[in-house]
Amino acid sequence: MIAEETLVSQLQQKSTEAAAFEILVDTYKERLYWHIRRIVLNHDDADDVLQNTFIKVFNNISKFKGESKLYSWMYRIATNEALTFLKKASKRMSISDGELQDRLIGNLEADPYFEGDEIQLQLQKAIATLPEKQKLVFNMKYFEEFKYEEISEILGTSVGALKASYHLAIKKIEAFLKD
Amino acid sequence: MEEFKNKNPFKTPERYFENFNGQLLDKLSEEPSVVPKNEGFKVPENYFDGLYANVRQKLPREQPKVISLGSYRKYWYAAASIAAIVLFFIGVKWNATDEIGFDDLAISDIEAYFNESDMDLNTLDIAEIVSFEDLEIDDVMTTSIGEDQILEYLDNHVDNIEELRYDTDEY
Repeated sequence: MIAEETLVSQLQQKSTEAAAFEILVDTYKERLYWHIRRIVLNHDDADDVLQNTFIKVFNNISKFKGESKLYSWMYRIATNEALTFLKKASKRMSISDGELQDRLIGNLEADPYFEGDEIQLQLQKAIATLPEKQKLVFNMKYFEEFKYEEISEILGTSVGALKASYHLAIKKIEAFLKD
Repeated sequence: MEEFKNKNPFKTPERYFENFNGQLLDKLSEEPSVVPKNEGFKVPENYFDGLYANVRQKLPREQPKVISLGSYRKYWYAAASIAAIVLFFIGVKWNATDEIGFDDLAISDIEAYFNESDMDLNTLDIAEIVSFEDLEIDDVMTTSIGEDQILEYLDNHVDNIEELRYDTDEY
């Protein structure tokens, strides 16, 4: 696998940017997709947000100074794009963020790209009850299996606060599912 | 016995107490049995295979290479000169009209911009931009309040309305 510094340097040069960008997309497309999908829930929306994320990365790579890792910079862009997408959707429909979450979960049952059973549907309902930050931390730790240090770099929150958020999230989800 | 009391022979690993809370939370958050690991999401077949091509299509295209006009250069100069003269006269006429400024923007357009942009301005942000002295009550209220309504409000909410009377000299 190509070293991150090499990839960034190739992305920042006109003669090598196209080939390097293809490598970048191939390397991160699945991980970023699942990160986004867990926020927006629907495949088509996840696809839109993912493509916008890569376009933003391509357009702004010249400004990337390497102060953080490339993947954490891309995850930050993906997270912001997904959250902005949801905010715009709720504004467009003149409904609250909570109501939008309810609608998204309601739509899952008829979604051809969701094959979850009742437990998985309940899990999504449980996750939807969490505050935004706890939701992100839970998904990144439980499903994406990030280390706390990595989440800390992406979300800009201390490791201690992340551990507390994750613990609270787990407790709330367990309680919801046991009910 | 007193001398033993003040000397603790036991030690803890470095930063033990600093890390204690985190380690405790790690233990408490160990994988819960009731939360499924599979979420039930799936993607269309071959979705990831076609992703790069889809993204590539949306990227800004490279500028086409400039082809030298070669022997057509003298005609090109003549055409450019004529175009420059025409543009000069159009420019003179154009500049005769007023320039478009902030005042030409419709209030509805400005409101729509603020409503549709994700600026997340809160009252604190506004307070940092606009000084208190520059703010009028009408800047933050869409319907004006009449004097009668103000008096009625004060009458209902202030014990002794007479106390509110003041002379400008008191400042």
